Amino acid sequence: MQITTIALVAFLLMGCSMIEEVKPWEKENLAKPIMQFEGLHPEVTKFESHVYFSKEASRGGSGVAGGGCGCN
Amino acid sequence: MQLKNNYINLSKVTAIAIIASNALYAENYVAVEYLQYDENDDRVSVSAPTLSASYDIGTDYTIKGDFVFDAVTGATPSWQPDSASGASTRDNSGDYAYKNQEFDEGRTAGSLMLTTRFDNRDELYTGIDISRESDFYANTVSAEYMHYTDASHNQSINVGASYSFNEILSYDYDTSSGASSKETSSSINVQGGLTQVLSGSSSMKAEAFVIADDGYLTNPHATIVRDYNTANQKLLTENRPDRRLAYGVNLKYITLLNDDISYKANYRFYTDDWEINSHTIDNDIYYAMNKRFTFGLGLRYYTQTEADFYNGAKDFFTNQEFASSDERLSDFDAFTYKASVDFKQNDNISYNLGAQFYSQSTGLDATMLTTGLKYKF
Repeated sequence: MQITTIALVAFLLMGCSMIEEVKPWEKENLAKPIMQFEGLHPEVTKFESHVYFSKEASRGGSGVAGGGCGCN
Repeated sequence: MQLKNNYINLSKVTAIAIIASNALYAENYVAVEYLQYDENDDRVSVSAPTLSASYDIGTDYTIKGDFVFDAVTGATPSWQPDSASGASTRDNSGDYAYKNQEFDEGRTAGSLMLTTRFDNRDELYTGIDISRESDFYANTVSAEYMHYTDASHNQSINVGASYSFNEILSYDYDTSSGASSKETSSSINVQGGLTQVLSGSSSMKAEAFVIADDGYLTNPHATIVRDYNTANQKLLTENRPDRRLAYGVNLKYITLLNDDISYKANYRFYTDDWEINSHTIDNDIYYAMNKRFTFGLGLRYYTQTEADFYNGAKDFFTNQEFASSDERLSDFDAFTYKASVDFKQNDNISYNLGAQFYSQSTGLDATMLTTGLKYKF
């Protein structure tokens, strides 16, 4: 798994070096609300994450903060 | 004429640059959300009003906080004495049934996060999270640093860590005592990643994470049956290992399909030393129909393998050290179907409404309804 992760990161870094530069004035579309990784409503996303945390056995990858039991 | 055109073009470029630049910063807002979660078969029901706010202090700081109160009621399935067979108490003299155990509790949780921006526009996020239940206290501190690797801010790397300390009230399900005791656990989460703008209408994010849990990781509400159909048969609290090491990767991609429609894809791989492996694929499409309405549709697929100490049968466990019949540790998959609509009344006020249906192959079905109001200023 560690080798896979390192290979994946290396691949991503190599791939990124070949990407054409996007100038700041070309980022209008990236600034749209529908183009945000965290979705339109981070509060709702946080609630969904807590549900999945409570009902499934795996977690991680969506930020380093969090808390709660979700035992029931 | 040429000068005028150049001036217009320059103004347009400047305006777009400002728009793009401002989008990197949070807007001031106060939001209220009401979240309702209901499971089938009269199981868990959660009502969760949430208050959140974000405020920029100059251009270098943003403080963000949220507060939620979950009212959790209903029942959760576990092994219990089967009253139909005559064992209506925990005397271990009769049979057992995997059925709903009623409970009623609340969770109060809050978080506070400070974003600090430096001269080179790198960002530092520091935060605290506190969660309180009658039998579970959780406190988390976290920090994450994001560094732009190029002048155009097309690529950034981030590294972060959090530490959680939990206090758990555990119950001894043994008939003779039924006593409770205070246990503790801790969790360290380390995460690092790369965000890359791929074009003027697409970007991706890749992150790797490691989570190390230590301490009392048993679910105090989950039970197992040991030595079934022998003179020593017992109904006991499950027992999980006191360490868990997990790691995985999370890949996100977002692109604009046309001027008004975006597509977001997310894949997460997770593995741990309890032999649980999971894959999550999450897809969302947003359609900004006009300046007022935005619609969203989504589909999430999740699958996991079972923990090496899990078994759902009542006649399986004898003297194994670690044992659990909690179906959340079983082999299952799940789908979530999502729909949402946002209505922007004006530049300051917007409303949102969302519905989700969650279905596990274990038989668990749940609906999630969300409605909210956001005021920007």
